Amino acid sequence: MADPLPDPFMLNQWFPISALQDVHDRPRRTTLLGEPLVYFRDGSGCRVTGADGRALPVLEQYACLWTTLGRPEGGLFPIPEYDEPDRRNIAAGSIGVNVSAMRGIENFLDMGHFPYVHTGILGELPHTEVKEYNVELREGGREIVATECLFYQPRASTVSTSGADVEYVYRVPHPTCSVLYKSSPMDTRRLDVIALFGQPTGPESFRGHMVLSILDDVNADDFISYFQLHIFGQDKPILENQMPKRLPLDPRAETPIRADKTSIMYRRWLASNGVTYGVIPAAA
Amino acid sequence: MIRLYDFDLSGNCYKARLLLAILGVEYERRNVDFFPGLKHREPEFLAVNPLGQLPVLEDGDLRLAQSQAILVYVARKYDPSGRWYPLDSPEIAGQVQQWLGFAEGLTATASAARLADGMGFDFDAEAARDGAHKLFAVMDEHLWFQERQGQDWLAPGAAPTVADIACFPYVMLSEEGGISRETYPAIRRWTDRVKRIPGFVVMPGIFPAVLGSQ
Amino acid sequence: MDSASIAPGWVPVAASEDVIPRHVFQGKLWGQELAIWRADDGYVNVWENRCLHRGVRLSIGVNTGTELVCQYHGWRYANRNAGCTYIPAHPADAPPRTICNRTWPAREAHGLIWTHLGEGEPALPEAAEAPLVLRAVPVRAAPGDVSAALEGFDPGEGLAHRGGLVFGDGASTLRLFVQPMDSGLSAIRGLVSGPLAGEGLALLRRLNTALTAFGRAAEAAARQHPAPAPIPPVYGRVSEELAEMPEMAAGTGKIRVTIAAKTVVAEGIVSLDLRPLRGVLPAFQPGAHIDVALPNGLVRQYSLVNGPGETDRYIIGVKREPQSAGGSLAIHDSLKPGDLLAISEPRNNFTLRRDAEETIFLAGGIGVTPLLAMAAAMAVDDQDFRLHYFAAGQGHLAFPERLAALGERVQPHLGLDPAGTMAALREILSRPGPARQVYVCGPGPMLDAARTIAADQGWPESAVHFEYFRNTHEIDDSSSFDIALARSAVTLRVPAGKSILQVLRENGIAVPSSCGQGACGTCKVKVLEGIPDHQDVYLNNAEKAANDRIMTCVSRAKSDRLILDL
Repeated sequence: MADPLPDPFMLNQWFPISALQDVHDRPRRTTLLGEPLVYFRDGSGCRVTGADGRALPVLEQYACLWTTLGRPEGGLFPIPEYDEPDRRNIAAGSIGVNVSAMRGIENFLDMGHFPYVHTGILGELPHTEVKEYNVELREGGREIVATECLFYQPRASTVSTSGADVEYVYRVPHPTCSVLYKSSPMDTRRLDVIALFGQPTGPESFRGHMVLSILDDVNADDFISYFQLHIFGQDKPILENQMPKRLPLDPRAETPIRADKTSIMYRRWLASNGVTYGVIPAAA
Repeated sequence: MIRLYDFDLSGNCYKARLLLAILGVEYERRNVDFFPGLKHREPEFLAVNPLGQLPVLEDGDLRLAQSQAILVYVARKYDPSGRWYPLDSPEIAGQVQQWLGFAEGLTATASAARLADGMGFDFDAEAARDGAHKLFAVMDEHLWFQERQGQDWLAPGAAPTVADIACFPYVMLSEEGGISRETYPAIRRWTDRVKRIPGFVVMPGIFPAVLGSQ
Repeated sequence: MDSASIAPGWVPVAASEDVIPRHVFQGKLWGQELAIWRADDGYVNVWENRCLHRGVRLSIGVNTGTELVCQYHGWRYANRNAGCTYIPAHPADAPPRTICNRTWPAREAHGLIWTHLGEGEPALPEAAEAPLVLRAVPVRAAPGDVSAALEGFDPGEGLAHRGGLVFGDGASTLRLFVQPMDSGLSAIRGLVSGPLAGEGLALLRRLNTALTAFGRAAEAAARQHPAPAPIPPVYGRVSEELAEMPEMAAGTGKIRVTIAAKTVVAEGIVSLDLRPLRGVLPAFQPGAHIDVALPNGLVRQYSLVNGPGETDRYIIGVKREPQSAGGSLAIHDSLKPGDLLAISEPRNNFTLRRDAEETIFLAGGIGVTPLLAMAAAMAVDDQDFRLHYFAAGQGHLAFPERLAALGERVQPHLGLDPAGTMAALREILSRPGPARQVYVCGPGPMLDAARTIAADQGWPESAVHFEYFRNTHEIDDSSSFDIALARSAVTLRVPAGKSILQVLRENGIAVPSSCGQGACGTCKVKVLEGIPDHQDVYLNNAEKAANDRIMTCVSRAKSDRLILDL
């Protein structure tokens, strides 16, 4: 099967292709939406060239190098917390996964798997309940936001030894990027930011770039990236065992439950934006 | 106390963690940011292992690199029963050694495909996958005939050995390198048996035999 | 043995010895991935290798011996009927019964597991004496090409080609099968019968070597051509109602069962072992009950006693109650093994949460039946629970083997008078806690007492679950009022002496119902406006105070009008 061409909505997005810390003088190769790219750094900043040697637009933002194969309407979605002076912004690693980026985002939005996949860290048996939460479209329909998401976490903070419900807020401001807010163990009034930026290398593969903006003046960078990689490494075998590898948008392709409200909205949102890349569109 | 220079997502490091856990040996984990930090190529770690390879185990004055060597040392030193590295029978000792060598082949193939697909290492993933399938085919056939003789493990005998520990991680992580195990049913049954060894621990990418246990 | 009896529709997809206990075999047929697993009762399941929730391969899940559990979110699917029995993200909900994995027919014969993807029921392979089963040799080449090339295969051993994929020497037969895994992937399976099979392992090795060499040559030939595209798997669509996250649907279908055994399990209590007349019984969850239509015309509800994995039968326990309308007497006195009965599909209005750290079961007399099913489900998972069983004496403890299997987690309380029962309940319920749940089933006075004591000791109502067998309160049906049906824009008058349910049915509006006395919860309807006059024993006090649900079989209105979501 020939790889499909990106639909206009996907084509005209900015996508991450590398953590900035991994961009060097020596050119490196990567793939975006099936197109081979080369990126490197020279005296004036980061450069990206497309398959035909043309120079592509570049953004250096949120610890990543972003580019596009189309004509985006503006810049990137905002993450205001990223600019707060007392936060640490860390690129925690980029991992390739053999499944559609949309499957990756949907897993990022999912709490029900915590006790089964992230046992002892983000969840623990028998605490399996996904309580009712809110999900809505914001920013004139450009962004999905899920709020009041509660899930039981063992050792809910670095100072506690017992479990408690932890609150999450999820944003989906981009078809392959999601931003998660979670109460900070260091400052209960503020939220840590954990982002997954998906680089769709093909319709059935992506690289996930993990970026954090957190309130933590205790742990070293490598410990924080260790933790994120541990979590992502646990998700990987699940993602790579999903069939089909593209996200099906037909409501009858899979069986949603109430806990899946965010992913139901995400699938509808992709469909309403005419996304066909990385998904299986519902039959008309 | 034993110190293990370790990287969480490394199958070779996991071999050492797995045997130490099964034998109930306490140790200190020293995380080396192999990815994304590439700290194994920096002077601080090169002073520990000039080859820049993980894992490295320190026990008293001993400093040991290479996962298979670490398994042999840990088994000889901390397994009073001697069953994890059996030496009594020359035939069995030879076969254990043969599978330890086989594990090196898995690192060169199945692990390389995983590093290429997952962590962007510049390896020939297709060649690595072809190589892994050749090894898996040999291993599946061997394990199938072992089963026919009432044998559960790679080397003959009633109990698993370091050979099973050495081969397990990169077989189990092979799907991350695009290597399906659907045509290797005897391997799949063997991996289930390894997961049921008392004291078994997981790493990211490998699930336990009992749902939701750690 | 003669494999010619195997119908062309059936294809071997695994060897019997592949499908070992507590393992999930990953199979493939024409691009369709299969999860093949054997339950502890020996039954072999051939399912689509895909959880219906998020498409994760079930072959990375866990075979508990009675259920297959998905690794991603812990959804459980039952042996045989493949019905989903538990969705951990919503522990208080019974999963809709209709969530059922896609299954294919499975037969175990000649040391192989067979299935077919086609429609209908081709003749099943006949069982024969166990032949020698070869190791399956995978070949990366098209099944048609492999089959054609195999006709020229020389197995050695003095075996000559006898047509098709059969080789023989007059006394012994080698029969090969090509399992079409995908467009470019085959597995060669084989059976040896006759004197040659006696050579055992040595022969298996020689034939494996010959077939492996054959496979390499076939692969080399296949590499001369571009590899065919893999066959896209067919993913069945779920039903429309499942795509919309429905409320649980009540089963109404009638199932014919036969009484396989009738056993006295305690003084005055018999159990019935009900087997399907044909097909497979629907999935059920612990706490579920069925309606049983009795020969004397009565319909009665009985809880299923079955533990997880006992999916080939329904077990119910029936107490002899001379004072009752005759349901129990009909069962005790006139039913016998071999009799046929009509039953409903299981319904669950008494769901078991499995996310508690500690669970307390309080059983009174025959009320133990749903609690036995719940306790067995928790025991399989090694979850923390205690079953307190109040009964008149040792001889009244029903299902002694099942109790014994639960071991020390069962605590009998024998021969207590009402005051003694109250004291025991106070002691048992003395420690409420956020992660503790209580389930009560038994006679009305005991339930009332347990609920009152729990409330007094600070248990939240949401942690106290109960099921009455019957409503012993007198129903006052003297009121008259209107019901407005919001969806159908109809207003109906409910006169004194008639229930809402009766009026609805007389007007052609179907509402499922079961016990007819406000105990089982089946006829529950949403109230949009108006104040119900609750007379049921199904809703708890907080649910009654919310005034947003009504049991239409007994409850009525305090206001002049109720607006119902119908």
